[in-house]
Amino acid sequence: MSRRYDSRTTIFSPEGRLYQVEYALEAISHAGTALGILAQDGIVLAAERKVTSKLLEQDTSAEKLYILNDNMICAVAGMTADANILINYARQAAQRYLLTYNEDIPCEQLVRRLCDLKQGYTQHGGLRPFGVSFIYAGWDPQRQFQLYQSNPSGNYGGWKATSVGANNASAQSLLKQDYKEECDLKEACGLAVKVLSKTMDSTKLSSEKIEFATVGKTKSGKIYHHLWGADEIDALLKEHGLAKAEDAEREE
Amino acid sequence: MDSLVAQYTRPAFSEAGQSQEEQQGLSQASPELSLKFALPPVAQSASWLRAMTDDYSNPNCPIKIAHGTTTLAFRFKGGIIVATDSRATAGNWIASQTVKKVIEINNCLLGTMAGGAADCQYWLAFLGMQCRLHELRHKRRISVAAASKILANLVYSYKGMGLSMGTMCAGVTPQEGPALYYIDSDGTRLAGNLFCVGSGQTFAYGVLDAQYQYDLSDEDALELGRRSILAATHRDAYSGGFINLYHVKEDGWVKHGFNDTNPMFWKTKLEKGEFSNVTADLV
Amino acid sequence: MEVLLGITGKDFTIVAASKAAMRGATILKASDDKTRELNSHSLMAFSGEAGDTVQFAEFIQANIQLYSMRNSMELSPSATASFVRGELARALRSRRPYTVNLLLGGYDKIADKPTLYWIDYLASSAPVPYAAHGYAQYYCLSLLDKHHHPDIDFERGMKILRMCTEELKRRLPIDFKGVTVKVITKDGIREVEYEDDVKVVVP
Repeated sequence: MSRRYDSRTTIFSPEGRLYQVEYALEAISHAGTALGILAQDGIVLAAERKVTSKLLEQDTSAEKLYILNDNMICAVAGMTADANILINYARQAAQRYLLTYNEDIPCEQLVRRLCDLKQGYTQHGGLRPFGVSFIYAGWDPQRQFQLYQSNPSGNYGGWKATSVGANNASAQSLLKQDYKEECDLKEACGLAVKVLSKTMDSTKLSSEKIEFATVGKTKSGKIYHHLWGADEIDALLKEHGLAKAEDAEREE
Repeated sequence: MDSLVAQYTRPAFSEAGQSQEEQQGLSQASPELSLKFALPPVAQSASWLRAMTDDYSNPNCPIKIAHGTTTLAFRFKGGIIVATDSRATAGNWIASQTVKKVIEINNCLLGTMAGGAADCQYWLAFLGMQCRLHELRHKRRISVAAASKILANLVYSYKGMGLSMGTMCAGVTPQEGPALYYIDSDGTRLAGNLFCVGSGQTFAYGVLDAQYQYDLSDEDALELGRRSILAATHRDAYSGGFINLYHVKEDGWVKHGFNDTNPMFWKTKLEKGEFSNVTADLV
Repeated sequence: MEVLLGITGKDFTIVAASKAAMRGATILKASDDKTRELNSHSLMAFSGEAGDTVQFAEFIQANIQLYSMRNSMELSPSATASFVRGELARALRSRRPYTVNLLLGGYDKIADKPTLYWIDYLASSAPVPYAAHGYAQYYCLSLLDKHHHPDIDFERGMKILRMCTEELKRRLPIDFKGVTVKVITKDGIREVEYEDDVKVVVP
C-alpha cells in the first residue's frame, strides 16, 4: 500500500503520512542514545557511542557531540554523515550571523535555521530527508541556558531534559522520574550517566562507550562549552560507581 | 599749481632735517617701505606662492608653511586673558611644540600669532618697532586701536599676495581701558570682547562661550582661558604642546606660565572626570 | 550645516537633530524630523546627501522591523549598529554608495545600559558616550569633553544639550531652525518638548 508514496518525500499517503520522514525517524531510533539535561547553571549533553573497537583512535573520532558556535553545542542521533552536512550548515549560519551583527546568534534562531533546512527536504521532490535528530545545548543573553531537540521533519522544541535515539522512551521516562527543576550542573551530570547506564545495553560504562559535554558559566561570568576527555568521563563514572572494575579493564 | 607752489614754499624749520620724502618714509607705517620686499620673479607672485604652498590642493607642494594653532583672548572685568597653544605644524609634520605664539609688543600690549608662523613673527616684530617709534615720537604710548590699525593697514596692502595671519592685539591704555582687536590677513579688523583664532578655534569657542561672563573673577578667567586651549589641543590635531597664558591688567601684562598640556590633560581627566570619551570601557 | 547630537547618561540616551531641511541657499522646511525609530529601543538620526538619508534610514528601519517580526525579539543596539555599519560598508563598495552620517541611540535592555553609536558615511562605527556630526562636532565636542560625565542624570543631560544648541545658535552662520529632541530610556523612545525661544548673543 505504502509503496506508491514511499519514493517521494513530497507526497502524502492517503492516511496523511510522509513515509520517508517516518523511516528517517525509525532509523534514528536505532542509533546510539543521546540525552540532554538543563540545570540551573548549565547544560549537560551525553551520548552513547555505538562503534567501539580497540583499534579506533579515540581522540580524533567524536561522532556524537559537536560544537556549533561559541555559545552552542549539539548531540547527534542518526546518520553521522547527514549530521555533518547539517552541522557544517549550522556553523556557517552562526558565523554569518556573527559577521553581520557582531554577536552570537540566539539559540532558537540557529535551531530554526537548521530546521528550515530539514523541513525543505520533506517537501522538495526527489530528495531524502536528513536522517538525524539533534539535541542542542546553548546560552544566549536573552533566554540564558536553553535545551532544544529537533528531528528529521523539521520540528523542534525546547526541553528541560530530553533524549533521542535507541531506548529513548525509557530514557525519557527515567528523566521524567528523576529530573529536578533546581538541580545544578553537577547533579545533572550524575543524572545523565545514571540514565545512560540504564538505557545502554552494557551494564558497565567506560569513556570509550560514551561522550560527554557541558555548557556552563565560569566564575567570571563567561560562557564555556566543554567536550569531556576520557579521563574526566572515567572520573565521573567512578564517582557514581558506574565504571568497569579496573581489573576487568586490564583483562580485556 | 597750488600744490607745486606749496611744495617749494616750506616753512624754514622743516628744512633743517630731512627731505619730505624721507620724513614721510619714517613717519608713516610705510607700506611703501615694506613693498621693497623681494618678491618672486614671476608675473603673478601671489598665485605662484599659492601653487607652491597650498598643501590642501597639492599634498606634494614644495613649500609647507607652518600653520595650525589655537589662540584666544577675551575681555572681562579684570582685564584681558590671552592664551595660546605652542604647536607649529608644516603639513602633517609637527615642526615644533614650543613656539611662543604670544608676542610681547611692549609691557602693556600683546599680540597673538595664528596662520603662517613666519608672517606673524615678522609682522608683529615690525608692529613692535612701529609702536616704539610712535612712543618716541609722541611721548606717549600708542593706543591699542592705533596699533591694530597699523597692522591691519599693513596686511591689507599685501592683500592677495599670500600673507596668512590671524592675530589679536590686546592691551590696556589709559584712554581706552582694556581693548581687544582681531586682525587677519584679509584685512579684517574687529574690536570685540572675545575671539578665538586658528584651526582649533571652534573647540575653544565651545568651552569659552559656555561659561564666559564679563564679571568673571581673575582666577576663573585664567582657568577658563587655560581650559579652552586644553579643549582645543585635545580635539585639534594641529594644536598642542604648551599653554601660554597671559593676563593683561591696567598696569601691564602678567605672564601665567608656559605649561605642558599632557600632564594637564590627565590631571583634568582623572581629578575632574572630564574627557569621559577617553576610555577603554566602551567597545 | 545639519546638526546631529547625541548624549548618554546613567539611564538614558538623548538624540537631537536640526529641524531645517536645506537645499542650496533655501530652507524648504523648518520642522523636518531627521530620525527614524528602528525598534522600541533604538533610534537612528541621519544627515548627509539629500535623498540618500531617508532612503537608507527607512531601508534599515524596514530590515530591523523585519528582524523583530521574524524572531519575535528585538535586535540589541550593538547588533543594530553592526548591521547598519555592515549595510553602509556594503553600499560603499557598490555602484552608488549612500552618503549618510548616522547617530544610533539606544537602550540595551539586557545589559541595562544606554548606548550611542557614531557612524559616518565611510562606515566607521564607534560606541561613544557623546557624539556629534557635521559642524556641530567642531563646536560641541570640546564642550562635551568638559561637561559630560558618564553618570549624569536626565536633567543634567538636557542642560548640556542646551549648552550645545546655544553655542551652535551663537556661532553657526546659518539658522538650523532648532532641534527635535528624542530620548531613549528603558521604557522606550519619547520625544521631548524643546523650547527654542532663548535669545543667544555673541559676547
